Formats: sequence, structure tokens, C-alpha cells
Amino acid sequence: MGDRRRTSFFLQALLLAFLYLFLYFPIFYIAFLSFVENTTWPFPPLYTLEWYSRLAIMSDFHEGLFNSLLIGLGTGALAALFATAGAMALLRYPVRRKALVALLYLGPLFVAEVLIGISTLMFNRNVLGLPGNLFSAILSNTTHALAFAFLVVLSQLVRYDWRMDDAAMVFGARPLRCFFEVTLPSIWPAVLGAFLVSFLLAFNNFEISFYNLGAVPTLPTIAWGTLRHGIEPELYALATLVNLAVFVALLLLYLLIRTGLVRIGLPED
Amino acid sequence: MKNRGLRFDPRIQFAMLALPGAAFVFVFLVLPLLSIVVFSFWRTERYELIPEWNLENYRIVLTDPTYLTFLLRSLVMATVVCLASVVYAWPVAYFIAKHGGRYRLVLVLLTAAPFLTGIVLRVTALQQILGPIGLVNMALMTFGFEPIEALMYSNVASAIGLVYLWIPFMIVAIYLSLLNFDFELLEVAKVAGARPWRAFLEVTWPLNWIGTAIGIVLVFVPTFAATVTPRFLGGPNGSLFGNILEHQFGATGTWALGSAMGVVLFLVSLAFILLIGRTIDPKRTGFTGIGR
Repeated sequence: MGDRRRTSFFLQALLLAFLYLFLYFPIFYIAFLSFVENTTWPFPPLYTLEWYSRLAIMSDFHEGLFNSLLIGLGTGALAALFATAGAMALLRYPVRRKALVALLYLGPLFVAEVLIGISTLMFNRNVLGLPGNLFSAILSNTTHALAFAFLVVLSQLVRYDWRMDDAAMVFGARPLRCFFEVTLPSIWPAVLGAFLVSFLLAFNNFEISFYNLGAVPTLPTIAWGTLRHGIEPELYALATLVNLAVFVALLLLYLLIRTGLVRIGLPED
Repeated sequence: MKNRGLRFDPRIQFAMLALPGAAFVFVFLVLPLLSIVVFSFWRTERYELIPEWNLENYRIVLTDPTYLTFLLRSLVMATVVCLASVVYAWPVAYFIAKHGGRYRLVLVLLTAAPFLTGIVLRVTALQQILGPIGLVNMALMTFGFEPIEALMYSNVASAIGLVYLWIPFMIVAIYLSLLNFDFELLEVAKVAGARPWRAFLEVTWPLNWIGTAIGIVLVFVPTFAATVTPRFLGGPNGSLFGNILEHQFGATGTWALGSAMGVVLFLVSLAFILLIGRTIDPKRTGFTGIGR
């Protein structure tokens, strides 16, 4: 019996290791490709930085980066704001019809991105008269990112002790002052986490943004265009830089959430 | 004084906090989805929507053999990808939840992290492994083997790509369910004489079905609507329903027909969600409340 347990333990560990390999090998492989000249069969590799220097002088890359940052910032700010308010409302108040509110916040998780993209395109164009631009892209990305932001805030806020706020209110603090002086100092890592996740989702989003951007380029649409017309090695460099930025951001988020939990004074899991 | 009382009314506070986000989703997602239902009954002429009510778009989508083939292929693809994800994600999520100890949060986040780099870059990376000039085929050819046709621009490549993209959702969903699962129950089953497999099938699986079901839905929805993956990994016979849908909003500009396809896509997903939802028995979830 003990042997069987050990076998299944090692089998599961092996499956996990293989999953990491499956998920990360392609990412590391194109990072490797971004530094070689002979990208088709890079053995032995001839190292070069040419793809990065080409990327550095591509003007549409700069424009795309700037636009992606704007979409990320706009979406991140809106989604973090709505998600924090929504999660606080849901956790704090014993009100009926909570389920309906939660459904609106989480519903976008169950709508395919391409469907969000085409339906907002049609609605903005034919009903609201909004042209395709960064603003439209931010609006439609926010609905999608909000679901993820909401889950991030909710997962952290369930550990929050609302008695701290009640105490502040008893001593006469107005709700807004109470939020900024009591609640926010404790929950900011969760809010930042929601912002970061929404930022990254919108920054890298293709299927929603594409339909709402008009002719405005972003990094994902540039990457998509390159992929469509036959891959160029600059794309490896671009992908590597974006992947690196994402993993650094996530590491930061992880550390903040960890230290944030310590700050709230709750046990780690 | 009256004003002050109003401000502290919990219902008002709840509304002030919850409504902005809810209203935002309603205006910028629910209304757009409803609007394409309306447009799907109109027609398009020279890139313009004409408000003349008709059922022609649905007749085309639901009777044209080409579109039906795409729809069916998407359905099969989504089913296969869901099954593969469940089978692979279960032991992995189980391992992390049971043996991860203090590292389990890191372990599960590592499976989810690539998701945030975006599907275009993820598909790009995968194409350099599976594509015709990808690592696998180049290696085979360099060492004098026949290239594996199934991996190059095929539905198999698409399926691998879709598992690659969406398995993080399945793992996280099952993992979160297992966090609320009392592993002691398995010891009880063992004491009662149940073999590991029987204990799994009669205790672990049914008590965590809710997590699995949520994972299945979260993988099914984007897979059924996939556009980027089949386009860059699927090859000539790999187009899925999502591709024919996006085509209506690109080159052909047939908005009304595209809207009808969007509605069909949404209704099939919704039917699937409801079908899976019916299998969840709230009394047998093993769920004891958030954060407990």
C-alpha cells in the first residue's frame, strides 16, 4: 500500500513537472531564438542582438507599445476601482439580490472574448456612434478584466475584518474617510493586484481590442499582423520583452500580496 | 440629521458601491450582446446594416453545410480539449493541493502565469515548437526522420494549442475546489475498506465536481469560440466556427450574418453552461463557505 502511494505521488509530481515544461519551454525557446541569427535551426547558435536593435528602431513598435500601455492603464484603473467597490459591497452588507450583482461582475468570464469584441464593435458603431479607438477598446476590455479583478479583490478581502471599519465609524469617521484611513491601508495589495491583472489582460488582449481599435496599432495587433504575414525574428524579441515584463510584474504582485497579508495581520495559508 | 441617516443606510451604501460596476457591465456588455440579437434579424447591404426584419441569417447559419461543419468541428474540438484538460489538470491540481504545503500558492500561480502574456504571443511561441519550421519537425528532419504531419498545421496542433492556452483555468478551478476539500474523508474511506480508486470515484470526484464543472465551462467557452489558435496552428482544414465568425466582420463586412453567428455561438455556450450547471448538486459540493 505504501509503495502504491509513493508511486502515485511520483507520477503526479512527474505530471506537474511535465506541465511546467509544456507551459514554459515554448516561452524560453523563443527567448533563446530572439538572440540567435539562425532562427530556423539554431544549432549551433550564432548569437546576435540584431532583432532587438531592429525592434528598437521600428516606429510602429513604439506606437504600439504606447497604445498598449494606455489601454492597460485605463482598463486597470477602471477595473480595479469597480472591482474593489463591488467586492466591498458584496462582502460587507447583508443585502438581498447579491447574486444578481455577483452575476454581472463575474458574467464576462463566461462570454468568449471574440464575442465581447464583435458585440461591442456593433453596439458602439451602430447604437452609441463611438468610432473604433483607444477609448472604445478600454471600455470593452474593462468588462472582461473586471471579472478577473473582482476575483482577485474578493479572494483577498474575505480575510478582512470589517469590525475595524465599524470601530472607525463608531468614533465618527465618515464612510469615505474611513475607507482611505482604515480600509485602504490594509487592502491596497489586493487593489494593486486587481489593477495589475487587469492591466496585463488589457495590455496583451487581442480578440477584444482588435475589433474596437479601428486602425490604432497595439503590441498584440502588431504581433498578429507579423504572424499572419510570415514570422519575422523581431517578433521573438518583442515576445521575449513582453513575457519578461509580465513575469517581473507577477513576481512583484506575489511579493506584495504576501507582505500585504502580513500587514493585515492574518495567518498565511 | 436625516441626510446623515441616509448616508449610513446599508442599502444605500451597498448600492453606491456595487452599482457603478454593475451598471458598467450592463451598458458595455449586456446591451451590446442584446444589440447583436437585434442586428442578427436585419440584413447587410454594401457594408451597411439595413433594419429589415428577416430570418435569412439564421437560415444560412443553420442550413449551410459549410457553416454547420465549422460549428460541429468547434463543438468536437471544445469537447476534446475539455476532456484532455480535465484528465491532465486533475492529478496536477490534486498534487499541488495535497502535497504543495507552503509552496502550493507558488506552484499553482506558476501554472496560471503564462495566461497573462496573451494568446497571440503564446500561440507564436507554440508555433515555433509545432509548426513546419518548428523545433520538433526541424529536429526530426535534421536527424533524418519523417516529419510528424499531425503536428504541423492540423486539428491536432490546434487542440494541443488550446489545451496549452486554457488548461490554467482548469487547474485553478479544481485546485480551489480541493482547498475546501477535507482530505481526512479519504482516510475514513480507507479505514472503511475502500480502495484508492473507489475512494476517488465515490468521495473526491463527486465532492469536487463543482470545481471541475466550473473549470470545464471556463475551458469550453473560449475553446468553442477560438479564432487565433486554429488560424495559426490549424492549417487548411483547421478553421473553426470562430474563424468564419470573424471573417464576417473583416473582409466581407456582412454584419447581420456575423451577428447571427455570434448569437448562435453564445446560445450554444449558454446551453452548455446550463447543462453543466444542472449536474451540480449543491448538497454534495463539500463547499463549506468562502475562506473557511
